[in-house]
Amino acid sequence: MTAFLIHNMAPLMFASLIVVLLIGYPAAFSLAAIGLIYGLLGIELGLFRPDFLQALPERIYGIMSNDTLLAIPFFTFMGLILERSGMAEDLLDTIGQLFGTIRGGLAYAVIFVGALLAATTGVVAASVISMGLISLPIMLRYGYDRRVASGVIAASGTLAQIIPPSLVLIVMADQLGRSVGDMYEGAFVPGITLAALYAVYVFLMTIMFPKSAPGLPVEAVGFREDDGSRGLGTLAILAVVSGVFGWFMMRNSGTHGADFVVLTMFNAIVFAFVVAVVNWACDRLFKFRFLSRLAQQVTFAMVPPLFLIFLVLGTIFIGLATPTEGGAMGATGALILAIMKRRLSWDLVRQATESTAKLSAFVVFILVGARTFSLTFYGVDGHRWVEDLLVSLPGGQIGFLAFVNVFVFFLAFFLDFFEIAFIIIPLLGPAAERLGIDLIWFGVILGVNMQTSFMHPPFGFALFYLRSVAPKESFIDRVSGKRTDGVTTGQIYWGAIPFVIIQCIMVGLVIAFPAMVMHYKRGLSTVDPNKVDIKIELPTFDPEPPKIQ
Amino acid sequence: MQALLALSRVIDAINTRIGKWFAWAIFAATLVSAGNAVVRKLLDMSSNSWLELQWILFSAVFLLCSPWTLLNNEHIRIDIINNMLPKPVRNWIDILGHTFFLLPFTIVMIITGWPFFLASFRIDEQSSNAGGLPQWPTKFLVPVAFLLLFLQAISEVIKRVAILRGMIADPHEGVHHPAEAEVEELIHAIESVDKRVGGKS
Repeated sequence: MTAFLIHNMAPLMFASLIVVLLIGYPAAFSLAAIGLIYGLLGIELGLFRPDFLQALPERIYGIMSNDTLLAIPFFTFMGLILERSGMAEDLLDTIGQLFGTIRGGLAYAVIFVGALLAATTGVVAASVISMGLISLPIMLRYGYDRRVASGVIAASGTLAQIIPPSLVLIVMADQLGRSVGDMYEGAFVPGITLAALYAVYVFLMTIMFPKSAPGLPVEAVGFREDDGSRGLGTLAILAVVSGVFGWFMMRNSGTHGADFVVLTMFNAIVFAFVVAVVNWACDRLFKFRFLSRLAQQVTFAMVPPLFLIFLVLGTIFIGLATPTEGGAMGATGALILAIMKRRLSWDLVRQATESTAKLSAFVVFILVGARTFSLTFYGVDGHRWVEDLLVSLPGGQIGFLAFVNVFVFFLAFFLDFFEIAFIIIPLLGPAAERLGIDLIWFGVILGVNMQTSFMHPPFGFALFYLRSVAPKESFIDRVSGKRTDGVTTGQIYWGAIPFVIIQCIMVGLVIAFPAMVMHYKRGLSTVDPNKVDIKIELPTFDPEPPKIQ
Repeated sequence: MQALLALSRVIDAINTRIGKWFAWAIFAATLVSAGNAVVRKLLDMSSNSWLELQWILFSAVFLLCSPWTLLNNEHIRIDIINNMLPKPVRNWIDILGHTFFLLPFTIVMIITGWPFFLASFRIDEQSSNAGGLPQWPTKFLVPVAFLLLFLQAISEVIKRVAILRGMIADPHEGVHHPAEAEVEELIHAIESVDKRVGGKS
């Protein structure tokens, strides 16, 4: 019996953990207790020294002094403030107007805004709730298929998990021991591609089932010129000119990839904003406009998100802030934005801090539990057991990736991504490395995969958030005055399934085309001389969280 | 039992107060962290004290708000099976879990955490970074947090037993998921702002 215990401690630990987790006791404490019980058992069996558990406080101190984890509260706080700042509402209104009359236009607007919000913060709840409150009623009013409407909103909200800056990527980078900046760079193209795939799905639906996503009727579109035209022309000209201006400013900067895109967009929006302000002033003073109302409105709506994207990503790329500090900059920016829109009250800040504090507590405690568990689990060589098990899978790299992805996909049905990240990822990382898999690539693949944990019926958080803002019963529409059916829970679930499939396709694409992610390395190799340039401009630039030794 | 319930109320009140107080440290940490980046860029100076302050503030938040999170039943569970179980069974899972999992864990952490702090306190341990902050106050957070968590676990057990005996109503009645309460709070907040601003509904 004793010999059996000693030899099978790791599998037994794992099995006990699964049982305890499944009966629904909080994950953090389950992990800690299983680690502790087996630790005591190990001391009893002579596997560990009696002072084995003395290592625990040091482990917790290690978690406390981990700067990267600070990104969790910063981005959560930012997301909560942003949600209350009304930025998403303005964007959805304006972009919805812009795409309005095209078939599926509102759905495209949701995807576009979802991607834009995703690039400002890493929080799913915020995007899904805003889009569910603003766009869903309009989609229902004009007869969108309820499954398409709810699926697009839920899925676009989860883009926040893969487009930088995302909490998943930060936690993943931390757990895999890679730099957050590289993870951002690597996830950028897959994130954008994913948004594009969503749009392709909407496009296919409008071709096959034109009634599922109709365009808005002409009379529902606002921001018209006095002669009734829409003023798309000046918008297009402004967009092109600003884009060229942004490119012109950045052409000799030596930046690549995500850095280049983000900084170019920032330059472009600054230019467009100045033009729009001049236009607005001319209109006020001389009753003369050279931009259409729509162009001006779109510019004003785009300024806040692009400004925030610059704060959270741009400041990292120009070497001003660490990824953690980027989160804090973004949160501060969101506060300023909310103050400027006069939507911030002391009470809202209090609620946001309290929600953030509770979320931080449960997330970090999962990590505390996981580290307690791993003290014993690694003590009995459990990580070697898992590693050997994984490395011995048939099919080498591809076999490993296939197995791991199927495994994580099913885990995502009932595990939160924080649980997967803190319990599973540290076990997978070493095996992946031994098989010669690039860990950034690996992290991005899993990131796309774990995004499904938000969309899986019936427990996906995004579906859950959408359910709480979507009308359950039929209601009288405020604008059309017609009785409109609500959205059933079944429709929300069915709507999510095509997007779960898209997610799987995307996982396959990233595996098949590693170049999508691996370009982050190109930045590293060719950027060397440029890094020197940057250093001359910014003497304080330091890619690591700066600590003077 | 009434005396125990009174004790539970006292513990709840203390941990709620501590939780709500320390939640503000999030706000402070945000400003400190953003300030660090800006000051480093603009004034070309950087202080390890300020860099350390941000994670110390955050440590205080997640450690000291954890009992309050437990009180609010917001420590995340896998509810796929739990939701299908009858309520008394769920209460029993919590009672047994708190008694045999959480309480021993917090006791071990208090027993190991106290000497961990003392060892640091005796030598007035300083930061390993030049110009950093002393380490022992931060290490003090560990035993304190787990003491509070220990108390909260006792309070939770008392409340669960009282619920099983029908002495008090379940405070989390009807809330299937902690996120649900959160969402409602959010929607309520959005609506109240909309009313105040008088903008779009």
